[in-house]
Order: sequence, then structure tokens, then C-alpha cells
Amino acid sequence: MSKTETKKVKKTAASYKPGSLRYIWYKLRHTPTAVIGMCFVVTLFILSFASPYFLIDERSGQPMWQYIDMRNMNALPSAEHLFGCDEIGRDILARVLYGARYTMSIGIFSTTVSLLFGMLLGSIAGYFGGHVDNFIMRCLDVFQAFPGILLAITISATLGPGFEKIIISLGISGIPGYARMMRANILSIRGSEYAEAALSINCPTSRIIAKHIIPNAMSPLIVQTAMGIAASGLMASSLSFLGFGVQAPTPEWGSMLASARNFIRNYPHLCLFPGIFIMLTVISYNLIGDTVRDALDPKLKD
Amino acid sequence: MAGNSENLLSIRDLKVEYSSGGKIINAVNGVTLDLPKGGALGLVGETGAGKTTIAKAILQILPDHATRSVTGEIFFEDRDLLKTPEEELQKIRGGDISMVFQDPMTALNPIMTVGDQIAEGIHLHQNKTKTEARQEAIRMLETVGISADRVDEYPYQFSGGMKQRVVIAIALACAPQLLIADEPTTALDVTIQAQVLDLIRNLKESQDTSLILITHDLGVVAEICDHVAVIYAGEVVERGTLEEIFDHPTHPYTVGLFGAIPELHKKVDRLSPIAGLPPDPTDLPQGCYFAPRCPRATKACAEKHPSVKHLGGTHYALCDQI
Amino acid sequence: MALIEIEHLKKYFPSSRGTVHAVDDVTFNIEEGSTMGLVGESGCGKSTLGRTIIHLLESTDGVIRFNGEDVTHPSKHKLRELRENMQIIFQDPYSSLNPRMTVMDTIMEPLKLSKKFSKAELQKEADKMMDLAGIEKRLRMSYPHELDGGRRQRVGIARALALNPKFIVCDEPVSALDVSIQAQILNLLMDLQHERKLTYMFVTHDLSVVRHISSHICVMYLGQMVETSETDELFERPMHPYTKALLSAIPTTDIHNRTERILLKGEITSPINPKPGCRFAARCPYADEQCAQPVGLHEVTPGHFVSCCHVKEINDL
Repeated sequence: MSKTETKKVKKTAASYKPGSLRYIWYKLRHTPTAVIGMCFVVTLFILSFASPYFLIDERSGQPMWQYIDMRNMNALPSAEHLFGCDEIGRDILARVLYGARYTMSIGIFSTTVSLLFGMLLGSIAGYFGGHVDNFIMRCLDVFQAFPGILLAITISATLGPGFEKIIISLGISGIPGYARMMRANILSIRGSEYAEAALSINCPTSRIIAKHIIPNAMSPLIVQTAMGIAASGLMASSLSFLGFGVQAPTPEWGSMLASARNFIRNYPHLCLFPGIFIMLTVISYNLIGDTVRDALDPKLKD
Repeated sequence: MAGNSENLLSIRDLKVEYSSGGKIINAVNGVTLDLPKGGALGLVGETGAGKTTIAKAILQILPDHATRSVTGEIFFEDRDLLKTPEEELQKIRGGDISMVFQDPMTALNPIMTVGDQIAEGIHLHQNKTKTEARQEAIRMLETVGISADRVDEYPYQFSGGMKQRVVIAIALACAPQLLIADEPTTALDVTIQAQVLDLIRNLKESQDTSLILITHDLGVVAEICDHVAVIYAGEVVERGTLEEIFDHPTHPYTVGLFGAIPELHKKVDRLSPIAGLPPDPTDLPQGCYFAPRCPRATKACAEKHPSVKHLGGTHYALCDQI
Repeated sequence: MALIEIEHLKKYFPSSRGTVHAVDDVTFNIEEGSTMGLVGESGCGKSTLGRTIIHLLESTDGVIRFNGEDVTHPSKHKLRELRENMQIIFQDPYSSLNPRMTVMDTIMEPLKLSKKFSKAELQKEADKMMDLAGIEKRLRMSYPHELDGGRRQRVGIARALALNPKFIVCDEPVSALDVSIQAQILNLLMDLQHERKLTYMFVTHDLSVVRHISSHICVMYLGQMVETSETDELFERPMHPYTKALLSAIPTTDIHNRTERILLKGEITSPINPKPGCRFAARCPYADEQCAQPVGLHEVTPGHFVSCCHVKEINDL
């Protein structure tokens, strides 16, 4: 009896470790805007992978996102085609849903790449200092000398177009920002009294780094990541729009916009729907990112 | 009720509530204070007792977004500051009343020369031309013991004690009637603290300025104040002249404070700390706020809020056990 | 017997403007079971000295002896052992605790690292430490941000005591606390010293606190020791002009017996590439040409050492 009772005790914000992943999750579940953002993202993801199985052209049996029906060229939204059809008669709703996987996952994957390498380089530079620090940071300076989008374009032009390539190019162009931030955090925490206290009780260096420094240096990076996902998703669409990212006929939102651009005067719905979805996705990611930032930045709590 | 004409500042039943995260913080709970013209009042209390909130309420610079309500009366020369419109308050702030903050490092604008920062206030409040204001600024710098040739230097070129002198020069530039100093020496070393306290005392006397000094250090109060108010949990628990409080501390909290500080000139074997912690301002006890920590508390103390007792002269204490 | 003997200890830091002589030729002993108060203003090198003695910083030159043994350059193994015997309590209870570790984790960490305890013993030992430092059991799983300053400082004390050290450097342990809490912590430190025969080096800028807790006092100015003696002697007969000014500058609550204040001109400078001679000369009311000559600590009256070439004239000796 008493056991079930203690289980039922409602957990409050104060019962979580500040800055822990559980606390972030608690905040995400209890902030309405974040819940809306998460619902949108998750629903879109599921639909993106499920839609090819139920949005199927009845006559040909082909999935609707790639079935070309010239009779429906530039068709306006109707009951049959909710978002209308594009310049070669493919269903825009099906294409938007199918394409969601790209814009959304490129954001997540490329930010992960930036985060992992940025953390690694930043930690090494920050903890060891001296020449190692100098070498790493000067290399990153070279990267940062280019505007982000230009750097991404250069890298994807070198690597060639494609889903993985765009993740790599966006990932690389994001590394310096994360590395710099990690380095700064490590430097300030290395000089903190609790790192000194750990040293005074015979804590080995590896443990000081793993237990005392890294966990406390992570918060600003997680915030940056949460906000970065939206930015790199947007960047992915821009690259595709410019023809460097995912190539037609794959329905990436950016490339859909690029091909619809020619018809914008007469058939604006071709641009409208991918555009709206890019916007909604970026907003959703930002809503989630905002909440994560609030959860991690104690100064913003009140 | 109009303010007493002998008093420059009279505060009657001041209450300030903040709200934060859905909770109400009772920062100041019915403070009544008088500051005679030319007097120096020390507000003593621990962190979070509400000292700074009282000062900010006088200047009407409480943070808008967090402040839930401010009630009571603050009479400054027969005018209730709580009912004064904002335009007039702007003239009063920096003109008739000015404030010195605790941290001289953050109180100065790092990209303005100290001369400009002092002159700015003079220019704004006293209808003087820029050249006149600059002349006045140089004179103020010399008054606080900084040579005139440093007028065009930037704050980073000054040390901590010098910065605090500049802050005081800014505060006193318009010859205010009231100077509020919030922990002006806490961030400074003792020898520098001695210099700054000496400066404040001399300026107060030469310019006939009244002073409210906010501090946690009873020693600093003894140095320059002639009146003392001890603040606990947003209430004045005891007030009176310096002699009344220091020679005859009456409220158990005041007595406790004196017992808790190590004395330089006499050696005691053991300090007698006040047990426990100050109350949570979002959840104040029902009766006397000090009762949970008070060695003399009775059952009645925990139930009924005490009333103010007059102990003769200007000596008042908020306790039912005296 | 002297537990700590320091001879001609120096700690220099390189900086962009020259070498910082943070600790410059300091010599003193600390008797077992006593408290040495180390007093000085910010930037005088008192914290650096404390950290150098317990090997958180490496000394530039000089000798450190612990229990009669030269431990200036310890081997790795010796350093581990030393750190179990020499601990530190930090000034700021807000930054000396890892914000992501519970009270229990923080106190258990040194015990775990010493590898002397089994899992069951760890818990017991940590509980014992919490009792000793006066931390309520219900706070075991709390995080530092949930505690007030006094309780955090108690956690810091429990962590320092966990390995049962002989010597503790207290680096301004009460200066961030309110007076009523400050007294609680000072009493706790004194009780612990009594119970466990601890030796303290108490670093502070607050002379009233130091008088209360110390048996001996060293006064530092710009990396050097200017005066040292027994506490009562120093407070009753301060001889160095700096000590005199420092003592007179302290605001006192005794409103009837005001002493005349000695106001120093100027402020403490930084100890970068200092010139030989007395470092206090620039602010000293008695300074003359003679003060440019190097001067060392010398015994003026039995047990009372002063570093000033005019000490005799100033004090009518």
C-alpha cells in the first residue's frame, strides 16, 4: 500500500538534478509550446516514413510522391490532391510528407556531427592548453574565416551532392562554434574551486575531466545544439535550393522550392506548401530549443 | 498624515511584495523609519533581510516585472514618493536623492571617461552648460581625493577603491540632500574601506548631506551612523540612536548579532551564534518572524505577531518579551 | 613540535607584464594542534601561499617540511599520501562544490578515492562525517543549489575531514557568510580542532576572525611576511607600520573607546618584478631612503618578528 503511494507522489521541478537530461525532459513535457513543437516534429517524422505505404496511386500501384500524372500538371488543391500537384503532376502533399525526413534529419545529424567533433576538439584544446590549444584553435580560425553557408557550399561542391555529403558539409562548418564554446567552458571550470577541491582529494586527472569538468561544461552546448538543429535544417534546405544538397527527383523541401520557383507567378501553391513546412519545422525545433535553454540556463529561470 | 517637518525622510508601514515563479515573496513587511535632517541612519541586517529593497523603494527603482505591490508611505520633505509622478521622480533621483551601489566595478560605464560620467548628472540636473559641468566634475574629483588630471581617464585605469571614490563623486555631484549607500565598502579591503568611510563622513559633514547606510557590518555602522535600524525578515526589529542600540541592544536578534561577531579588542572563547536560518520570505511564520530562532520565544510568540514597544527616547523594539 | 616548517618559500608566476612574485621568501613554522592566522589584503599572496603548502601549486623555490620530513618535491606516491594529510576548505561555498553531485556523493568521493573502505563502510563513514560537520541526514541526496551558504560550507568541511587529515588550510572559510552563520562555522571549526587535534592555517583578511581563532599570526604584504608573533602579543603590540594601520582600520562596535585611525595613502600595488627593499615603503608614513635597502624578518622582542628597518624608532624600543 505504502509503496504504491510513494510512487504516486507527483514529481516537481525541484526533485530533478538541475541540468540533467531528466530535468530537461521534465521541462519539455510540462511546457505547452515545447509539447506543440514535439508533437509536430514526431507526427511529421512518422507520416514521412508511413506515407509511402498508404499514399499510393490506385491504378499504377506506385507511391504517390513519385507517380507522374501529366493530366494533373500544376493542379490546384482539391479533395483528391489536398495540396495540389506540381509541374509534372506529382501529388505535393505526398512529396512534402516524404521529403520531411530529409530536412528534419539533416538538421539533427549534421548538428550531432558538429557537436561531437566540436566537443572533442574543444576539450582537448581547453584542457591541455599551450601548443595543442594554439594549433587546434588556429585551424578552426581558418574555417571560421569563411561565412558558414559559403563554407558548406564549398565542401559540398567538393564532395558532390547527396544526403550524407550534405550532412558532412553542414557538420564540418558547424564544428568551430561548438569547439570554441567547449574550450571556453572547460577553461573556466578547470580554474573553479571544485576542480581544485577534486585535485586536493587525490582525484586522478581522467576522473576530474570525466566527472567534474565535462558534465558541467555541457549545458551551454546542449542549448546551442537545440537551437542549432533548426538552423542547420534551414541551411540544408538552402543548399538543396541552390542545387548542392539532395537532388531532384528526391523531394527535399529546398529542391522542391527550387523547381517550383519558375512557376511562382501562376501556381504559387507549388512553393507555398514546402515553404510553410520549412517554416513550421524551424518553429517547432526552436520552440523545443527555447525550452531546453530555459531548463539549462539558471539565470533565465525567473 | 504629513511627514514630520524635522525629518527629511519618513517611511510609514512600507510593504513590498515580489512575485517569482508563482510564489509571493514578502520582501518588506511594514517598515517604519525616520531620518532626521543631516542624520546618518544605518540599516543593518543579513543577506535577504530586505535592506536593499527598502532603498530601492525610496528611489522607486524596484524591478517592474517582479514587483507585485508596494504599499505604505515614503515622505521625502512632505512629499509622498509613492504618489509622485515619474517625471518628478526623475528630477529627485540623482538630484535630491542619489545612491551608491555595492560593487564599484559594475556601477561605472566602462566606455565613458570618469569626468564625463560625473558631468552627465550635473548637466542633467542643474541646468549647467557642458563646460560648467566639466569644471564641476573636476572639482568633485578633487573633493573625493583624485587629482584633476585623471578626469579624462576610463574606469579600467582606476583601482577598486578609486572607482568607489568616483562612484561617490557621481552620487554627490548634484549636492543631494540624501545619499543612500548600499554596502559601499563591502567589496573593498580594510585599509581602503577606512579611506572610503573617512571620505563619506567628511563629505557628509561638509555638504550637510543626510545618509542612509546599508550594511551587514555593525562596525561600519558604529563608524559613521548616528541612528540605527536593525532589519530582520523585512521588518525593523529594533531602532534608535547609535548609543541606544549599541549600549542597550534589546531585541533578541540584535543581542544575537552582537554575540555572533568576534571582537577585535576582547577575546572570548566561544562565539554565540544565532541558531537556525532566516525564514523563507515566501513562507513567513505566523507569529513573530524571529520566534523559531529566538532563545526567549514562548508559545505565544509563535502564534501572535509582536507589537512595537517604545523603550524611551527614540528607541523602539518589535518584541513581546521585553 | 612543528608540524609544518616553511623555509624561504617562493612562488612566482609568469605574466605578460613580468614575473609575479606572489609569494617571495616566506619562512615560518606551524606547531601541531595550533592555528596559524595568515592575514593580508587581497592580492598579497596569502591564498597562493596556502595552496603552495598543500601542493595544489608547485613551489618555485624553498623548502616545505611536513612532520619533519622534506616534502618540497614529493614523488607521486608520496603526494597521494600527503594530500590525505593536508586538506583545504575553500572560501566560496557556492563554487567549491560540484553542482551536479549530491551532498553524499561529494563527501564520499575522497573516501572512495582512498580505496580504504568497502562499499558498506563508505556509507557509514560518510554518515559519520555528516554528523561531525552538523549536516542533517535528510540532506543526503540534496544538490548544492538547494542548500544555503552555511550548509554548503559544512559540506566542504565534511569533504576536507573525510580522510582524517592532520593539517587543514582554511582559505577565507567564513568571509562569504552572514555573521550569524559565520559564528556557527567558526565554532564548528574550533570544536573539530579540539576533537581531532587538527592543525589549521587560517587565511583571511578579517582580523577580528583571526584573533578569535588563531594562536599565532602572520601578516603578509605583497608576497612577503612583514610581521609574525603570538596572537595576543601582535594585537597588543603591533610593531610594523602596516600592521598598525591594518589594526586601526578595522571598524569596531565599541562606540565609546574610539582609537585614532591611521589612514594609509594609496593602494596595494601588484608584485610584478618588485624592486629590492621594503615593499610597503610607498604607502608607509615613516619611509625614507634607508627603506630601499633589503630588509628581512628579525626578532625584535622574544617570539615577535618584524620586517622593518625603522621598527626601533617607531616603537620607542
